[in-house]
Amino acid sequence: MRRGHNVVAASAATAFAVALVIALSACSGAESDGPAVAPAPAAQVCPKSSRAGWQALANKVRARVYCPSWLPYPLDERFDGVFNGQTVDPDRSYLVKFLFFDAGLPGGPQEVHVIFRGYPGNRRLPRCDNSTVEDGKVVHHFSPCFSDPNGQKRFGSKLATLYTSNQGADQWHLLYAWRESGSLYTVSEHVAAPYTYAQVLHNLNRMMSTLVRIEPRAAQPS
Amino acid sequence: MRLTRKQFVGGAAGTALAAAGIYELADRMTSAPTRIATGPRPPEQHLLDGMRVVTDNNVEVLVPPLHHQVVTARLRVGESAASLADARASLENALADLDARFEETPAGLGVTVAWGLPYFDRYVPGQAATHIPVDRRASATRGHEVRVLEHAIRFPTDPPTTQLEANDVAVLFRSDSLANIVAGARAVFDELSGLFDVTSIRKGFVGGGFDGGPGLPKQMAQAAGIDGADLIPHGSELFLGFTSTQKAGLGPSRIANIETLGYSDLARSGYFAHGTHMHLSHLFEDLAAWYLIFDFQNRVDTTFRPKLDVPRYTQTVAQGPEDAQTSAQVARDYARYRQIGHSGSIQPASRLERDTIGRDGTMYPKGTAVPQRADFNTLDNPFFWTAHPGRDEYADSTAAGLHFVVFNPTSDDFRRTRLAMDGVLPNGAKLDFEVGSTGRGFNSILSTTHRQNFLVPPRVHRSFPLSEIQGH
Repeated sequence: MRRGHNVVAASAATAFAVALVIALSACSGAESDGPAVAPAPAAQVCPKSSRAGWQALANKVRARVYCPSWLPYPLDERFDGVFNGQTVDPDRSYLVKFLFFDAGLPGGPQEVHVIFRGYPGNRRLPRCDNSTVEDGKVVHHFSPCFSDPNGQKRFGSKLATLYTSNQGADQWHLLYAWRESGSLYTVSEHVAAPYTYAQVLHNLNRMMSTLVRIEPRAAQPS
Repeated sequence: MRLTRKQFVGGAAGTALAAAGIYELADRMTSAPTRIATGPRPPEQHLLDGMRVVTDNNVEVLVPPLHHQVVTARLRVGESAASLADARASLENALADLDARFEETPAGLGVTVAWGLPYFDRYVPGQAATHIPVDRRASATRGHEVRVLEHAIRFPTDPPTTQLEANDVAVLFRSDSLANIVAGARAVFDELSGLFDVTSIRKGFVGGGFDGGPGLPKQMAQAAGIDGADLIPHGSELFLGFTSTQKAGLGPSRIANIETLGYSDLARSGYFAHGTHMHLSHLFEDLAAWYLIFDFQNRVDTTFRPKLDVPRYTQTVAQGPEDAQTSAQVARDYARYRQIGHSGSIQPASRLERDTIGRDGTMYPKGTAVPQRADFNTLDNPFFWTAHPGRDEYADSTAAGLHFVVFNPTSDDFRRTRLAMDGVLPNGAKLDFEVGSTGRGFNSILSTTHRQNFLVPPRVHRSFPLSEIQGH
């Protein structure tokens, strides 16, 4: 069964609610920086269903990318999932999103939204433009896209900074950013029902703990 | 006494008066600050003596009482002179007993009895017409006679659902001790239950980590599972992360009295001298939006004024006369950034435009704050208890918010200040913002549910004011 989109039938909604309770129960007691957030190490494998997508992305941006071996329930890890998507800018920076949204569930809308970004060859925090129109002229107001650093946490060799106030597609998200080999990488998740702040942080810690590095492959001669 | 919120709604007001609910946690999470000894009771009901002053970030800060409670009610008293006399005697006796039991300080119990227009209109209309002072400033501005007490209005950024209430009376209880507040509320509304139909009970707390520790707002919000609670700064005095009781940001001593600044004629009798005006409202605060959408500099810009340069994660920002903005400065910020700050925008209305000698003989310098705030954090949704759960949209869950209590000399003075917060400045300038704009101070993350204005008589007339005077 494909998960992660248009769960409208009552039976499906009930199944979702039950599964979510189980998923959230698994998060219970998770503290913001508890060490035991990651599941078994054996999980650190890029899922077969998304590996090709991540490999293609690495090849396209000519840089290593990170594939999550675990995503919060009920996200579908496949690149061609209905609400999932990716963009690559001319400077090779990329965004990969995994999204679940359902407005028809008991208790109100629910959204699970995770974003992976990479900025190959660029270690600086990107800047966002909050333009205003003043007296008919566009005036640009630039500020860092990721703000309010709220502590650092080490995940293996990665020293990640938690940013709690972010802009653009990462608005309302908690975001980890780390620098590696001359590049900046980020992972973020939207703070929204069904997950609380603490659960989102738990999810991020778990994703960070189980990222799998995918190196670009040289183009094959034709 | 432990009760669920469902039991509160189903139960009588008396049960809720005695219950602490989640606010019981506040006593476990912090201890009462050391208080200083005080002198005799002032003639004003709204002044609370013995407030401790601490210095934070080189700014003097008043430490308010930990616990607050407001009880509103309609009267069950007959309209005859005899009924009113009996009621007046009963209430005054109860209040006098409380005076005897508790000093008027945070360590004891502060009690402020405020009366709404429905009381004056129904019970003492003739006396009110004679003795409620005319607001000369407002009358001149609007071209007709305006009294110091008017009905509350919805402001431009209030949602259409904001309820304009019609209570006869509201009593504010303030103390570091929950037990003292319960004793006060029961003495008035339980033991004199024949006089009142309680309409709502509103509870809350204030308490920063000035003596160390995370502060009550963060701990209480986390305990209540409020979205965004984890992002409240450690030690914050209010949910929104900044100190709001800077000594220089609150009106000093008797400045908010009806008579002090000469805004009103005080009527010929001077009956309400040493009285004041009280605005009471409740608003929800979207903490998740505040901390996830606004970064620290955005929060400073929004709370104080655009591009204010303070060290990262500062909580206490100076708010002295020299820090106050003028209408021209607010308009300049708007032109440049399409943004106004909360404090900055209200200061042209809430601060003195020039040096003023008050009727109390005090010289109040230009830039001095006039309003005396007594607002407090709450987890009520929107009230701790209500007689009208449907009308008040009571919910059986906690929600971050503020019970806003402020003393101004007149209704109009509050109105001017609140309008300025919406970008309607005292010099007549109207700063337009798109609906939901984050440029207009706090407004994008606040939602006001209820409002009402009250008159606070001087202590000597606190019980059924004007009812001892022969009506016409």
